[in-house]
Amino acid sequence: MFSVEGTIIAVVVTTLLSLGSVPVLVWMERRVAAFIQDRLGPNRSHIYGFRIGGLVQSLADMLKLLVKEEFYPSHIKFKFYYLLAPAIVFGASYLTFAVIPYSNTLLSENGHSVVQLLPIELGILWFVALAGLSVYGIILAGWSSHNKYGILGSLRATAQVISYEVAMGLAIVSMLLTYGTIYLNGMVEYQSGLLFGFLPSWGIFMQPLAAIIFIITAFAETNRAPFDVAEGESEIVAGFHTEYSAMKFALFFMGEYVAMAASSALIVTMFFGGYNLPWVEGQLLLDNPKTVFASIGIILAPLVIGLIIWMKKSNRIKGINEPQRQKETKILTIILASFLIAAEFSIIMLLGVEQSAQSISYVATAVQIGTFVVKVFMMNFVFIWVRWTLPRFRYDQIQSLGWNILLPLAIANVIITAIAVVLL
Amino acid sequence: MGIKTVERYGDTLAEKLYIPAIAKGLAVTFGHFAKNIANPTSIPTKQYPLEQPQDITDRYRGRHRLTKRSDDSVACVACFMCATACPADCIFIEATERTDGVDEKMPAKFNIDLLECIYCGYCVEACPCDAIRMDTGIFSVIGKKREDFIITKEELLATPGAFGKENSLAH
Repeated sequence: MFSVEGTIIAVVVTTLLSLGSVPVLVWMERRVAAFIQDRLGPNRSHIYGFRIGGLVQSLADMLKLLVKEEFYPSHIKFKFYYLLAPAIVFGASYLTFAVIPYSNTLLSENGHSVVQLLPIELGILWFVALAGLSVYGIILAGWSSHNKYGILGSLRATAQVISYEVAMGLAIVSMLLTYGTIYLNGMVEYQSGLLFGFLPSWGIFMQPLAAIIFIITAFAETNRAPFDVAEGESEIVAGFHTEYSAMKFALFFMGEYVAMAASSALIVTMFFGGYNLPWVEGQLLLDNPKTVFASIGIILAPLVIGLIIWMKKSNRIKGINEPQRQKETKILTIILASFLIAAEFSIIMLLGVEQSAQSISYVATAVQIGTFVVKVFMMNFVFIWVRWTLPRFRYDQIQSLGWNILLPLAIANVIITAIAVVLL
Repeated sequence: MGIKTVERYGDTLAEKLYIPAIAKGLAVTFGHFAKNIANPTSIPTKQYPLEQPQDITDRYRGRHRLTKRSDDSVACVACFMCATACPADCIFIEATERTDGVDEKMPAKFNIDLLECIYCGYCVEACPCDAIRMDTGIFSVIGKKREDFIITKEELLATPGAFGKENSLAH
């Protein structure tokens, strides 16, 4: 019997991972960039003294973009397309999440359900279709804004999309040959075992070349450095979104981060074992609920205590007495410590009670969603880390990389994979 | 002079593959990130309003002041040398006769428009009496309207020097 619990959980997780994570990702991007460049980054805006490491800055930025004037340049002829473009970019990026599985099949009171936004088995095809569509939004934005920089930006996006999407498609084909399915849940279940007895059988260990090609093309897909030529702020002002302001610009901006999160989710699902904990199969979680509870308690304590110690050490300026920040540190310490005590207490309580199959299934789902979210954020960090390391590729370099290097490698990989699949 | 041969990079296989070079670059940036996240207080950034600059020397051209003689009267003789030298035309002097017998002339008004001033220090160099100096160490002037930035003789006289040498050296 089919039930909706999984879908409801998936809706919540999707919203948190896409829309909810945008302020966090913007904050992460700015602070990580600052730390990489030996700076501090935004840390001053606060609400009643609470700055939470500068996270409040994202709220301020959001508020600013919301209350900014809706400005339409007078030279725009097709206002419908001009307004449609950011909606396409954002909507396509958001919908990409629809096929990502967040955990094994959930067993609830009403029956089994998949923890996935749309209970469809299109899998990777859905991603390819929508990721391709979001580039159309960029092209449309540059064209409809009747601006030379905008046209140049969308021209670059067009040239970029045709040069990387072929290699991306072929990398996906070799993964399909390996997994034998287009359904992402099937792929994740395939990756739950072990490879050679000691490695988790993740896609990246089975198909390292396809993984590298797919990750490179995913960077191009999301229009992020080193492939952000369509925006190219040092060359063509702001590229495709030169004429956009206020929330219309914010939709592009958020769309970029949602696309980054979606690409991370897909990379994790295809190459890093998805929601699987390394060396731990899903069935193992269902069979040993007490071990799961105990290990959550054991892992949680040093994490929270470490965070408190780090906050006490870092949330200050050397040699300067700052009462506001000291107060913030004190209150956050109390909140974190009481959270830790409550969590540990409830875990100890739960250890003594015999659980039903349904509640064990819920706990296993929670553990797998947690694993998935951690993995996605690690991949997001890689996206940010690469952006602040590599310079931008030139327009023709991207095309030669796509056609001359990635495409032959991807074709060779498909052929080798096909031979291996037939022979083994 | 011989010919210096510059070594060319980028021809070996490892360099053409890009991946090792990218990995090296990623290692460098991650090293910085890890070092700074472990100890954010060691980052050299000054958090300005709380951390004031400590490196202002006596040669720093800060906001102006008017010096005094040893008897605490104004050292300026209203000769208009500073106003003449000023490339921004921001000094406005009104002269008057000095009746206390110390000197013949003194400023009745001495206004500097700090919004016009470019802090070049020509007025200090032009002054024959060491009456105007820029040694207050003030680098930030705050006001709510334009008029707040026109400072008068009284304000200029009231500001002490930040680096000693309180009085004019000419009298």
